[in-house]
Amino acid sequence: MPTTRRQFIKQGAGMVTVGMVLPRIWLGEAQGRPAAPSNRKFVVIQLAGGNDGFNTVVPYTESRYYALRPTLALREAELKDDQNRSTIITNQFGLHPALSEIKALYDEGKVAAVLGVGYPNPSLSHFLSMDIWHTADLSGLAGQGWLGRYADLALFGQPGLTAAAVGGELPKGLYANRVVIPNIVNFSFYNFLTDPAYGDDRNNQLNTFNAAASRTFGADTLSASINKTAFESVSGAQAVQSAVGTYHSSVVYPQNNPLADGLKMVAQLMTTIPEAGLLYVQMGGFDTHSDQIAHSSGNANRLGGWHTTLLKWFSEGVRAFYDDLAEHGIAEDVLIMEWSEFGRRPGENASFGTDHGTVGQMFIIGDAVRGGLHGEQPSLAASALDPAGNPMFTVDFREVYATILDRWLGVDSRAVLGAQFPPLDFLS
Amino acid sequence: MAFGGDPGEIDETMQRGRDGAVDSLLNYAQIDNAALESLLRSSFDFSDPNDFPRFNRSQIQRWWLTRMVYSRRQFEEKMTLFWHNHFATGASKVGELLIFVQNLTLRQYALDRFDALLEKVAKDPAMLYWLDGITNVRGNPNENFARELQELFSMGINDVVTGEPNYSENDVKEIARAFTGWKFFYAGQNGPDKFRFDFFVNPNEHDFGAKTIYGETRSFSGEDVVVRVAARRSTARFLVKKLFEFFVYPLTTSSADKATIEKFADVYVTRNHSIKELARAIFTSDEFFSERARFGLVKSPVELVVGTIRMLGAKYNPGPYPNNPNILGVLTTFLGQELFNPPDVSGWKLNLGWISTATLLNRFNYADLLATSRIADETVPGLWLPHDRLRKYTKASAKKTLKKFLSVLGPLQIDAATTRALTDYLQSDPFGNPAGFRRDDKTIDKKVRGLVHLIMCLTEYQLN
Repeated sequence: MPTTRRQFIKQGAGMVTVGMVLPRIWLGEAQGRPAAPSNRKFVVIQLAGGNDGFNTVVPYTESRYYALRPTLALREAELKDDQNRSTIITNQFGLHPALSEIKALYDEGKVAAVLGVGYPNPSLSHFLSMDIWHTADLSGLAGQGWLGRYADLALFGQPGLTAAAVGGELPKGLYANRVVIPNIVNFSFYNFLTDPAYGDDRNNQLNTFNAAASRTFGADTLSASINKTAFESVSGAQAVQSAVGTYHSSVVYPQNNPLADGLKMVAQLMTTIPEAGLLYVQMGGFDTHSDQIAHSSGNANRLGGWHTTLLKWFSEGVRAFYDDLAEHGIAEDVLIMEWSEFGRRPGENASFGTDHGTVGQMFIIGDAVRGGLHGEQPSLAASALDPAGNPMFTVDFREVYATILDRWLGVDSRAVLGAQFPPLDFLS
Repeated sequence: MAFGGDPGEIDETMQRGRDGAVDSLLNYAQIDNAALESLLRSSFDFSDPNDFPRFNRSQIQRWWLTRMVYSRRQFEEKMTLFWHNHFATGASKVGELLIFVQNLTLRQYALDRFDALLEKVAKDPAMLYWLDGITNVRGNPNENFARELQELFSMGINDVVTGEPNYSENDVKEIARAFTGWKFFYAGQNGPDKFRFDFFVNPNEHDFGAKTIYGETRSFSGEDVVVRVAARRSTARFLVKKLFEFFVYPLTTSSADKATIEKFADVYVTRNHSIKELARAIFTSDEFFSERARFGLVKSPVELVVGTIRMLGAKYNPGPYPNNPNILGVLTTFLGQELFNPPDVSGWKLNLGWISTATLLNRFNYADLLATSRIADETVPGLWLPHDRLRKYTKASAKKTLKKFLSVLGPLQIDAATTRALTDYLQSDPFGNPAGFRRDDKTIDKKVRGLVHLIMCLTEYQLN
């Protein structure tokens, strides 16, 4: 017979002093600060590898764009989706043709596209630039993520599963000092298994495991981190098991779409665990040095290739996710932020691809956003490009973070970011 | 230096003493490996890489993990794994044939001079494809390889001792030019050796012009760049740090740890960039035998899966070809390490990078899977923990049984309270009440298997 979460915690905790060593996050009892009054939820989608902003929000009237990308630049006539509907959004910009569903949300006023996003002295290293975005620290050396700092401030002490990442590893953005944020690869193995041949021994094993996993080790040791994570992995898994078992939805998520798989898991958590308010999902593959567009025998097909596939996954996944939230009546409570560690160089290379850039674009999606274009497209004039051929950013990504922290999550952005950044107007 | 061993193997190695043991592990080419070779011959057919059922991602993972479990040349496997992580290349882009050929190259040059290895890797078809070298052409260079060559494969962005930047963006651009026109030809297409690739430089695509690299202006070739990269002090330091942190413990920015890096960087320089001599210096050092090196690292999934099998003497029957289940490969992937397919060019994140609530739960579930894996027919491919092995290590009392298993699986040192909890577990009835311990088949099958599961769930067991 499955052990309930409360039974489990009681049995597990029976051998130690409850509260002394068990982080409260799983205990199911409120402690410290009262629960935040808002139902607001925040979902982060990371597109890893460096998404090409110039071919995501396409400056189709910019002659320099065509000069720098004779092969890769999407022509105005190509800015329509597979149903032949135009993906043009203004008299200067259009969305990539694969972003059909995003275009529909855009037309409903639910999509803000922030142009020209970057930061001073940009790093062209994936790893350093990712760390900079994750930590909101321009040296990239901070040990905590910006979302982790937010969680420590706003979520610590709150009961239940308040934050989680879906996927193989916990992103650095969620590294926190006080709140342990789990990452979940899939639900079926997210459980502590014991010998099926001897079901009557399961409670003994769980109790013994919990006794060992409730020990205290020296601070800042590998052992302390592992032990803390061990306890939380098992107790948290049991809580998640009982919750997501109640998920139902009529929304059909697209198949063979890794982002849709992740977003469905996010929906399963958000719709069954009311306190789950900070969720993170990522998809890789955006490092399109080569074969960004399709080609055969040297002939380019800009409507095919890797970037098209990736953006299609993004677009279809987000749409299904949004519809699922709407079906559960929580769409208006959710804000989605998409980011990538950098954009790509405006000039194409000879591999039907683009090298690392400095400036990208971000999508902020939700009922609450002020839809439309925000920020400012950087100049592509030869004189405005750096020696590597990259433009200057116009919006510091920390301005986007600050806007979301202050205006959506309701915490003082200075406490998370360590400095004041001017807000953007994609949220009021 | 190995993936663990059973008590007999460990005794045998210890008898050689510090230098002798290291010597025998390093000079692995002299170790007879006929039993492994014979097992590989009966379990794999890699005569034709285009024969998909016999040669695919699963099969090459099964091949390498079988080697790791059964090779007597343990250090060869461990160093190959180190280089696979260092020059991280993924089959998801390059495919199985190229990644397999790269593995053979890493294996062959694992203890050579670093210059030789680096040049082989730069010319390796998988690398040329992985970091877009083959489309890096004069007039329109692709910087992918030039950047990672410096950032990840040799010296890092900043010097690991001084913190000074090691190169400029201009160095990246100029180095990219030096590698333009580098290509490979698949000689196996029509030749007898189906795994043969030939490297060549296409003169029409190579930029023969002058390049300014690290302040020196010449018409550098890619080979020239490799030599200069390998000769930099920052490369010596970076490589030392990477190797040391893979095998010993993570280094801090303290002056003592910087001195440790410098000491071994000197060995790299004075021993003519020999990886073997650098390894020898590290493995015979006081640091390697220090208290800090005990449990200083988190076991990687591969170390956990292979090491547990070797320590416990669990049975792994890879089965004959083709289409046998890739049990170990599925397990390591499940724990966050898919061999031949690291997450990106920076490789796997070690130590706490292996640890998350998800991967730790999976470790516990691997523990349960292995500990409770019983098999009736040993001729069937599979992984199981034989009853007679458990019986061999089970003693008359719960306390002695625990002690024996802590020794076999480590040796692990645990505190008194945990010792008591595990001893109580061995003697408890289904309601958690004391019921005594008997060395009988039922107890071994239920409680001793449960004990193996629980020991493998201990925090101490996650460490090396």
